[in-house]
Parts: sequence; C-alpha cells; structure tokens
Amino acid sequence: MREGKKGSTGASSLKKKEKLKKTKTNQNHNEEDNNTIITKKKNTKKTAKKVQFEKQEEEPLQKKKQQQQQLPTTDSQSESGSESDYEDFSEDDVSEDYELLRQSEDGESESSGEEVHGNHSDSGNDDYHGLEDHSNSSESHQGVEESDSSEDEVVPRNTVGDVPLEWYKDEKHIGYDISGQKITIKERQDKLASFLASVDDSKNWRKIYDEYNDEEIELTKEETKLICRLLKGKAPHAEFDPYPDYVDWFKHDDALHPLSNAPEPKRRFIPSTWESKKVVQYVRGIRKGLIKLDEPKEEEQRFYLLWGDDSSAAEQANRLSYIPAPKPKLPGHEESYNPSLEYIPTQEEINSYQLMYDEDRPKFIPKRFTSFRSIPAYENAVKDSFERCMDLYLCPRVRKKRINIDPESLKPKLPSQKDLKPYPATCYLEYKGHKGAVMTISTDASGQWIASGSTDGTVRIWEIESGRCLRIWEIGEAVQYVAWNPVHELPLLAVSAGQDVLILNSGFGNQEDQRKVKELLHVQTPTALDDSDNMASIVSWHQDDKHDGIRLKHFKTVTSVEWHRRGDYLSTVMPADILLFLSKKLSHRIPFKLHGLPVSSVFHPTRSVFFISTKKNIRVYDLVKQKLIKKLETGLREVSSVAIHPAGDNLIVGSREGKLCWFDMDLSSKPYRVLKCHPKDITNVAFHRSYPLFASSSDDCTAYVFHGMVYSDLNQNPLIVPLEILRGHKTSNGRGVLDCKFHPRQPWLFTAGADSVIRLYCH
Amino acid sequence: MGLILNPSPLSHNSLIASIFTPCVTEDSLPPCRSITDLPGKKKEGNAARYITRSQALKHLQVNTKLFRRLCIYKGVFPREPKKKFRGNHHTYYHLKDISFIRHDPILEDLRAKSAYAKKVTKAKAKKNKELADILIKRQPQIKLDRLVLERYPHFVDALRDLDDPLALVHLFASLPASDRMKIEVKRVHNCRKLSHEWQAYISRTHKLRKVFVSVKGIYYQAEVEGQKITWLAPHGLQQVLPDDDVVYDVLLNFLEFYETLLAFVNFKLYHSINVKYPPILDPRLEASAAGLLPLSYFLGDCLGVWVHLEQVAASVELYALSRYFDTNYRTAEQIDGTERDESELRLAQLQHQLPSNEPGALMQLVKGAADENEEDEDTKECKKLFKNMKFFLSREVPRESLLFVIPAFGGVVSWEGEGAPFEEADQSITHQIVDRPTQGHIYLSREYVQPQWVYDCINARIILPTEAYMVGRVPPPHLSPFVDNEEEGYVPDYAETIKRLQAAAKNEILPMPGLGKEDLEDPQNLLAEGYLSRAEAIEAAERKRTLLTKSNSKLMQMMALEKQYHDELKMELQGNQYSSSAVDKNKQISGEDSNNEEAREEESLPDMQDTAKDAANMSTLLMSRKTRGLYEAMKIGKEKKKADVSLLKERKKRIQKIQTQNTKKN
Repeated sequence: MREGKKGSTGASSLKKKEKLKKTKTNQNHNEEDNNTIITKKKNTKKTAKKVQFEKQEEEPLQKKKQQQQQLPTTDSQSESGSESDYEDFSEDDVSEDYELLRQSEDGESESSGEEVHGNHSDSGNDDYHGLEDHSNSSESHQGVEESDSSEDEVVPRNTVGDVPLEWYKDEKHIGYDISGQKITIKERQDKLASFLASVDDSKNWRKIYDEYNDEEIELTKEETKLICRLLKGKAPHAEFDPYPDYVDWFKHDDALHPLSNAPEPKRRFIPSTWESKKVVQYVRGIRKGLIKLDEPKEEEQRFYLLWGDDSSAAEQANRLSYIPAPKPKLPGHEESYNPSLEYIPTQEEINSYQLMYDEDRPKFIPKRFTSFRSIPAYENAVKDSFERCMDLYLCPRVRKKRINIDPESLKPKLPSQKDLKPYPATCYLEYKGHKGAVMTISTDASGQWIASGSTDGTVRIWEIESGRCLRIWEIGEAVQYVAWNPVHELPLLAVSAGQDVLILNSGFGNQEDQRKVKELLHVQTPTALDDSDNMASIVSWHQDDKHDGIRLKHFKTVTSVEWHRRGDYLSTVMPADILLFLSKKLSHRIPFKLHGLPVSSVFHPTRSVFFISTKKNIRVYDLVKQKLIKKLETGLREVSSVAIHPAGDNLIVGSREGKLCWFDMDLSSKPYRVLKCHPKDITNVAFHRSYPLFASSSDDCTAYVFHGMVYSDLNQNPLIVPLEILRGHKTSNGRGVLDCKFHPRQPWLFTAGADSVIRLYCH
Repeated sequence: MGLILNPSPLSHNSLIASIFTPCVTEDSLPPCRSITDLPGKKKEGNAARYITRSQALKHLQVNTKLFRRLCIYKGVFPREPKKKFRGNHHTYYHLKDISFIRHDPILEDLRAKSAYAKKVTKAKAKKNKELADILIKRQPQIKLDRLVLERYPHFVDALRDLDDPLALVHLFASLPASDRMKIEVKRVHNCRKLSHEWQAYISRTHKLRKVFVSVKGIYYQAEVEGQKITWLAPHGLQQVLPDDDVVYDVLLNFLEFYETLLAFVNFKLYHSINVKYPPILDPRLEASAAGLLPLSYFLGDCLGVWVHLEQVAASVELYALSRYFDTNYRTAEQIDGTERDESELRLAQLQHQLPSNEPGALMQLVKGAADENEEDEDTKECKKLFKNMKFFLSREVPRESLLFVIPAFGGVVSWEGEGAPFEEADQSITHQIVDRPTQGHIYLSREYVQPQWVYDCINARIILPTEAYMVGRVPPPHLSPFVDNEEEGYVPDYAETIKRLQAAAKNEILPMPGLGKEDLEDPQNLLAEGYLSRAEAIEAAERKRTLLTKSNSKLMQMMALEKQYHDELKMELQGNQYSSSAVDKNKQISGEDSNNEEAREEESLPDMQDTAKDAANMSTLLMSRKTRGLYEAMKIGKEKKKADVSLLKERKKRIQKIQTQNTKKN
C-alpha cells in the first residue's frame, strides 16, 4: 500500500511538474500575445513540439512506473491507481488528456481486470488466487502493450445465449455459468438503500446494471473516454493516429546501385552439362540415321481402288436423295468457230440487241473465224466456269418433271360434236326491218312468233318460219326489254321502254282468249290509287289507249321484265329496285334488302323461288316464306345476265368481263365451272327449255352454243361441252350481239345484233 | 430490417433478367441445342424441315467461307421448300443436309486447319520466317478420299458427274500460275497431269465420240461405261485471269475436290485395263518435258514463248503417256489373250466332259463370253476410222488436241519437234495437217488438210473428201455434233451434204417418202424408215397447212395423198400384197372427192378458217387454268423455235441472193 501510494504520489508530483511547465508556456503565450497572428501560430507549433518532447521524456518514466507497479503484490494498488486516475480526470485539463491517457493506460486496464476478478471471487476466493490472476493479466499486458482487446473478450458469465430474460422471470436463477451451475439472482437492495448508496458513492454515475449477468458494472475511465470519442465522431481508440508521420525506411546515402552490385557468378559462363549430353545424343541419332532432318514429306497422295467392289457399296437409306446438277447445255451450231453464214447476225441485228431488255438479249453472239489459227482465247472462260461453280453450290435444286409431250394432248377429251347434235350451227334466216340496234327479242310460247324491241322505238312481231314482220308498235322510246307471257292462252307482251312498262295485247289466239285478254287489260285508274301510298309513288297503273294495253309508270328506267311461269306475275327490274306485279293489278315491292344494285331477276321454273342478281352475288329468295334461302358468290366483277336451267337446280351467269359461270346449287354456292370464252362483255345467257343446250351472246359479235347436260343422278356432275361459235353479226358502236333466245321447242337460236338484224341459227 | 429488405430488390432484378434474357439472346443459341428445340411454338412442316443459310451458319458455328468450303466438299446444295417460310430472298437448306455436315469429321479438320493457319500468320507477323517455314511445311493435310466415296458410292455415279470436274481441271491446266490469285504452280501441273492421264485413257481405249471446236474451246464427248461425258477444254492460248467478279477461292475449293475425284477415277479406269497408276513415263521424254516446263514457267514474262513452250511440253508429256500406254496396254492385251486361250482350253475340256447331246447350248455359252469381251460397236467403228493413216502435224497446228484426237480414232501421229516418232520426210505419211495460208514444200504422196478436216471426219464418222479443206481455203462450216437437226427444224446445207456422203459411204440411197420398197427384207429397217418418212410427210403436211389460205383444194389433195401413203404404209407393215390397182383406185377416189369438195369449200373459205380456229379454241375453253398456262407456255416455246428457224431461213435466202448477184457481176 505504501509503495502504491508512493507511486501514485510520484505520479502526481510528475504531473505537477508538468503543470508548472504548462503554466510557464502559458505565460510565454501571454507575453507574446501582442505579436502578430503568424508568430502566434509559430508559437503554437513550438508548444506542440515542447509537448512532444515532454512526452518523450515521460516514456522512460512510465516504464519505471510499470516496473514499480509490477513489484507490489497487494490488491489495493489498483484502487489507489484508479483513484489517482479519477483525480486526473476531474482536474479537467483538456489539453493534457492525451498525456494523461498514456500514463494511466496500464493502471486502468489492470484495475478493470482486477474488478472483474474481484466480482468473480466475491463468493470468497483467497488472496493467492487473486494474486495469480493479477500476475497473469499483467503479463499479458506486457506482451501486447497497446492492445485493449481484453475488455472486448470478457466472456459473459451467463451461458443461456441471446434469449429474452423474461423466460427466467419466475425463476430464481437467470441462467447457467460455464460449469453448468445456476446463476441465482442476488438479493436486491431496497430502493432507499440503493439510493443512499448511490448518493454516497461518487462513482455512481459510471455504474450500469447488467441484467443479463445480474451484476453491476462500473465503467472505467477509459471506457467512458471511448464513449466520449465515439460521440464526437473520432476513432474509438485514442492511440490510433489517422495521420502518421512518413517513415523513410530506405537509406539514400552511400548506395551506387539500387540492388546488389555483386559480380556474375561463374556458373553462368559454363555450358550446361545436361544440354551437352542432350546434344551428343541428338548428334548420335542423326549420324545413325535415327533422326532425319527436313525430310521432304511424301508428296504424292496415295491413290487406291476406291470403288473396289461396286456391289459392296452400302446404300445409305438415311440420306436425302441426291439431285444431280443439271448438265450445262451442249453447244449448238452457232457456237462453232466457223458456223454457217446464216447463223451470224447482221450488224443491224447486233445493234438491235442493244434495244432489248437484258433478259432477252442473246448471251452469245456467233462469230466466224476462217481458219483455226485465228481463234482467239475465250475471254470469259474463267468467268463462265466460276458462274457454273456458283450455280453448283448456291442454286437451289428441285427435281422437276419435264414433260415432253405434244401440247395438243393437254386438251381435255370431249365427246364428239356429232353425238351431241342437234344444236344450232348455221344461220338459216335473217329478220331485217329494224332501223336501230335490236336490244331484245322474245319467243312466243307456241314457237310461232318472235317479238323484238329496238332502239328505234319499235316493237315488232315476226313470223319465225317466214321471217315476215307481222306487227309493229311505235313506242316512241328505245325499247329495253320485251317478254312474251309464257302462258299460251294469254298472248300478252310486256315491253319496257324508258321508265314505263307496257303490257300489250299481241292479238293472237282465238276469240275467247282475246276476250280474256281484253278483260285483263282493262284498268281503272282509281284502283291504282287505292293501293298503299308507298307503292303509288313508285309505280302507277294506267290504261294506255294508244296501244290498247296497260302502262305501268315507274320512277326510273326499267331494265328488264320477267314473267312468272304461270303468267300471272311479272317482275320488273329498275337499277334501284325490284317490283313484283300481280296480275290482279297490284304491285308489290320486294321486301328484302339488297346489297348492291339489282341487275336482273329470274323466277324459278317450278317452285316459288326468286333469283335476284346484284353485281357480285346472286340471292335466292323464297317468295312464300319471304326469306333469303341462299347466296351464290360468283366471284365475277360485274354480272350482266342470269338464266336458270329448266330443272331449276342449275344456273348460268354471264358477266361483263366475258366469263360464264355455271352454278350447281346442290353442289356449292361457288361456281361449278367458270368458262372464259368471250373477250368482251356477255350480254345475255339462255337455256333451252327442252334440249340440253345453253348459249351466251357477247359484244364481240359471237354467240357460243354449249351442250349442258344435267343428269338426274345427283352423283354425276353436269357435262359442259362447247359446241359452236356462231358468227355473222357485225359490230356497230362497239356492240355486237345484244340478245339471244332459244326457240321453245326446236334447237334453234335467235340472236339480236346491234347491226339491227335478228338471226336464226338452225341445226 | 434493413438487411432483410435489401436483398429483395436484388433478387427481383435477377428474376426479371432471367425472364428477358432468352428473348434478347434468342439468336445466339448454345451449340448443343438443335434448331428445332427453339422455345415457343413447336415447328412443323417446312419450317421444321428447312433452315435458312444464316441459321445454318449459326447452327454449325462456322463463318461463310468455311461453310462454303464444307458445302463444296460435301456436295450439299440448297433445296427448294414447297413453302418458303422466311420469304423469297432466303436460301434454304434441308436440316438433314446441315446435320450431315455437322457430324462429319471434316468440319473439325477444317477448323483445326484454320487454327493452324493462324499460327503461321502469327509467325509471319513476328517476322519469324524460320518458324513460319517449318509450320508451313508441317501443315496438316486434308484427305478427301472418304468424301469422294461418300458422295459417289458407285463408280458410275462418279462418271455421271464427271463433266464439271473435267471442265474445271482442263481450265486450270491452261491457266497461268499466279500468286495473287493463289493459283500455285504445283496445282496447275497436277491439273495438267490429271487431264493428260484422262485423255490418254480415252484415247487409248477409243472412247471418244464427238469433238466440237467452238469459240469457247473444244468440246469433247466420250462414252465411258455407258455414260456420256462431255467436257470443254479451252484453246491452248494464254488465258486471262479476270480480277473482278470472280472469287478464286470458290474455284480452288471446287478444284481441290475435283482433283481428288479425278485421280481416283483415273486410278479405277487404269486399273480396269490392267495398267498401273500413276503411270511411270519414259524417263527421257519425261525429262525433256520436265525440263521444258520449269523453263516455261521461268520465262513467264514473254507470253508467246511461254505458251509455245507450254504446248510443246504438254504434247511431249501426252506422247510419253501414250507411249507408256502402248507398251502396257499391249502387255495387258497379251495377258488377256493368254487368259482367253486358257478359258478356251478349259471350255474344250468341259466340252469333253459334258454329254454330247447338248453342243448347241454350250456353243451359245461360248459366244456370250466372246461377246462380253468385245467392245461395243461404236468403239469398233471409232477405232477403225483413221486406220492405216499416218498424220503429221505442222508447227502451227494445235498439237495437244490433235495428239489426243487422232490416236483415239486409230490414227498414227507425229509432229515437228523434239521427241517426234517420225520425221516430216517420212514417205508413209498420208495426211499432213497444216494451218497456214500457203504451203511451201509439198510432198505429192500426202494430202495437206486443215485441222478442221479431222474434227469433221470424226463427227461424220467417215473420211470426208479433202478438197474443201485444202491449204489456204476457207473451210466449210464446222457444225455441232450435239444438235439434232430434225428436232431443231432447220438443217444446214453442209449437214445435208455430209448426210449424203454418209449414205454414199454405206452404199445406200435415202428412201424417199411415198416410194415403197418391196425388196427390203429386214422388218426393223423398214420400220425405222417408215417412221422417218412419216415424220417427213407430217412435216410436209404441216408446211402445206400454212399455205391453206392459198389453195384449199391443194390441201385436200395433199391430205388425200398423205392418207393414201399412210394406208400404203400400213399395208406394207402388215405384209399384205401390194397391188398397183388399189393405188389407182385410191387415187381416183381421192381425185373425185377433192373435185367435189373444191366447189363447195371455195365459197365458204373464210368460214373454214374460222372453224379451224374455233375447233382449237373450243377445247382450251374447258381446260383448267394451270393446264391452260402450261399449254400457252408450250405454244410460246414452239413459236419461238419456229421464229428462230424462220430467221435462219431468211438470212440464208438473203445471203444466197447476194451470192447470186455477185456471181452474175463476175
């Protein structure tokens, strides 16, 4: 204890000395205060140096002190050390902190270790034990002087780990120590006692209760300082110097070379024995001929019988089929060096090649050399073979069947025309009389008469057999369409001219028929007005006195008129609308919506079905149910005419692009066959009522007659055979044949031409 | 918390990346994956079966050059898929073809070679010439034997595809070596060697059939094992190497394969006639040739000399080859002969052993064996063409070609120069081939002809009269033997004269159409003739049909005649008795008919025309669009042919007119 006190007093005396010095320096400062700022700085530097110097001076002192501290064996030494430390700290000279720390370092660490041990051995360890511990700790401190890791490495007494202490809330212990013993909770002092104790204890502010180990820890001075430093944002350890002075380890003086200047060793000048042995070995090898130098390799590729036995060559089934490249074309006469004179093109022809397209231009122009010696080298030899090579590896190869046949054999086999007779083939009669182009013709149901309408504004009736013109009506307007009533007993004629449709009495038939007709043709104007006001605006029925018939007035030009097979209905087509007329002098508008303008209309020959063709499609309606049944897609640009087969299942459509479509309505809504026969517009198409014939007439002055057989067997497709091309009409104003109609019973065809002639073709 | 939260955005990012990467790097697939394994919709049809060129490149991991090389070696070519799934501007390969390349070890070899080439360039770049030389010397060699066998499993296949190899090898044999184009001297020499070996074989076995001298070069056609092989050998003149539009790498790649192929083919051919391959040439001749060749190479600057020397050297080499052949072949024949003797002996023994009641069968057996041994008739004919003829070539004549051609047809040749078998002064020479405006010294014992005479004789297979081919004259036109004049529809004049000469050589007169020959025994001949004359008759009829408008009645008569002729023919074929009375009858009937019809038809002449047209139109109406297109195309082709012929005829007429005018003036 004494020695320790002495030590402490020694230390305190030293500090006092320092203090004195400091005060001196301060005095110096005060003296020089009046000087300029620069000098002041200098002075501060000086003071710093002085402090350092002091520090150096202190080091040996410290050592001494350590030695002194090692000597004592008593426990109380630590307390005194700590006391002194505390005193120093309390003196509160910030400038001196650094030095102070240095001084007190050892003492503090010791004291902390001591404390731990003290706490540990509170159950009653003897002195010897504590002494041992102490010596140990001091030794360790000597070994690693500046390390303070011992503090961090204090092993927690409790071994329960990082578990919440709530779990031990109800227990008397709080965990287990390293030997497995329970750590029991110490008796807590009551609050008053603890308060009093804290009031008494000056170190109380440094004490922390460790709940986990159930002990009170007193923070050492060092630890508090560490915390202070951390709070200030400095490095935690005071001894860490972020800006250390540079230490120049290398000695610059007295060195000629940076490295060793020793002379080359001898062994580097002596040839290696191992190498010489190897060389000797090689030389022997060469002499003996074991090693051959630069032996020219066997240049010649050894060829052998590659295709030894052809039969053994395995067929590779897995490979793709090899398509041999087509052989280059063999040269003709023109490639000869001395071709016949006729193969050489004239200069004009060669010049004309310049005007050709590149593809058409001949690749090779024949030349003639009169002797063998005058043939020059061919300039494109390399290029040609290069192109061939490129073709060989870059051109896609396809196996194509080349048919070397007569083109005539491609034509389909048709039944001979002789077997398909009778059909109209030759012109038999011409009906002349019209002044203008004959727009339309119609044959009487009896087959005796033919009516025709022309642009000269007349409707004429001809006797078929004789060609005599029987009757003429002057309509006054260009006649668009004429149609005989299909019923034999009602010899009525419907004529469309301009915006009107006239129903005329032809005057044929016996007395009774005439009476009936007269009755029918009598119309009372008011009845027309009684009709729905909508219809009245479109069409109105009038009595036509001049021609002794009925005049139906439309608001637009009527393009075609069609009778129903029983003769009691009539349909008229206007570019905007289709109307159905009843013979009871009622008119009825088609209640369907059409997409596009109507072109023509046809009644089904047997059922109450009605066909309307627009420009692109044909719509089939049921008149009873008033429903759309079917829509036929022609695929044509503009339909011009439609005709229906007498059986009612097949339909032909003519178009303005000259195509003729045959529809089999049982088969599909697309054409069964499209025939491109006319180069110009088809004006009309017609079926024969009894013979398997149909015809088309066109503006190219021809009419085609076809054989169109429809079999009753549904599995057999209709047979279409073109039979005859009928010529004879002459073109006028760019129009040719305007209408064609078959005779109702005979295989005869009537054609109406733009050259104002009607022709009859017979078989 | 911070620590837990932080990694989550990272992991999120990585997740996104893993989703997007396949989309971004879809094109660069790992090599192990086949193209059909692409993620997404499974491919079907053409898209699964074909890949485009760029896809194939990626698939094989090669560059374009290497791919080209592989394609050339392996004989892989693009194919046309039915539907081009990537558009028209792509080249499509079959997937099987590409995988076929992929599994071939040649791919690895070529890769190794290119890697080795890098070493060499590196050494060169470092100016380490020694190392570069050593490396070049030790370059790995690529062998193409296996590929040849793979591409041509049978020898006949190889022969069938031999046209292009021969043409290219012959071309390169005549090209100058060039460093810039990487055409090495060694290769040119090898090409020359190969072409001479081939020519020697063809010439010695008399397989050559047709020769045609064109502006582009000389076409030869040989028939080996039933395969017609045609190749083009350029004229023996200095060839120009064009710089642009020719990629020499392509040519050289092809050549590399072709050289190997041709060498093996030559081996097989030589082997088949019991001659060793490669041939060992007469050392003296070879030496002279070899001495000339390097010389010629070093004298490369003065072109004329070069070419001449080259030719001389080549011809000497060829001669050496043929000499070698002669000796070997003769021995081979001798061997053959002995073998045959042996076989006959054995046959005799067999005959002894066999019962004597079947001598006929045995005789037939022997005959069959004999027939097999003999060459086919064509070869016999060719062999005999220049028999007992001795040719001498003047200096200016293209020696290489004639040295090849004349022996092929049984002639004996010599030339002016070193190593010639006999001199110009030799009295036994029958023909001297010259190509100069005038001949100074003339031996009366021989005929002087231009080289074209030889070729024309070969093509006509007869010895033509030499008057037209005399020195200084313009020879008659040289016609292509590859053209079927009848099919072309135009027969040049000279072809007709040759035909007549041929017929004369056979002591036969061409049968005229309509003239029945009753004394012909051979039914086959008759048939052939009938066919020929019928074809002519049809042609005549066609010609007349065009004149229809002029005189219809004539046509009818012609028709009647034709009909009658056909009837006659039929009767002949049936072997019926041919009576002149029947002909008279026929004629009378037809005459009456024609008279009757004349009156009727003349009035409706235009109608007739129309009806003829209509009839043609009618059936085209019902054709489907496809067949109609085909029909039209065929028609156009025919019309074009016709137009060509008519152009020729027109020109001929004009020329004749000018000629007659000239003669009149004179």
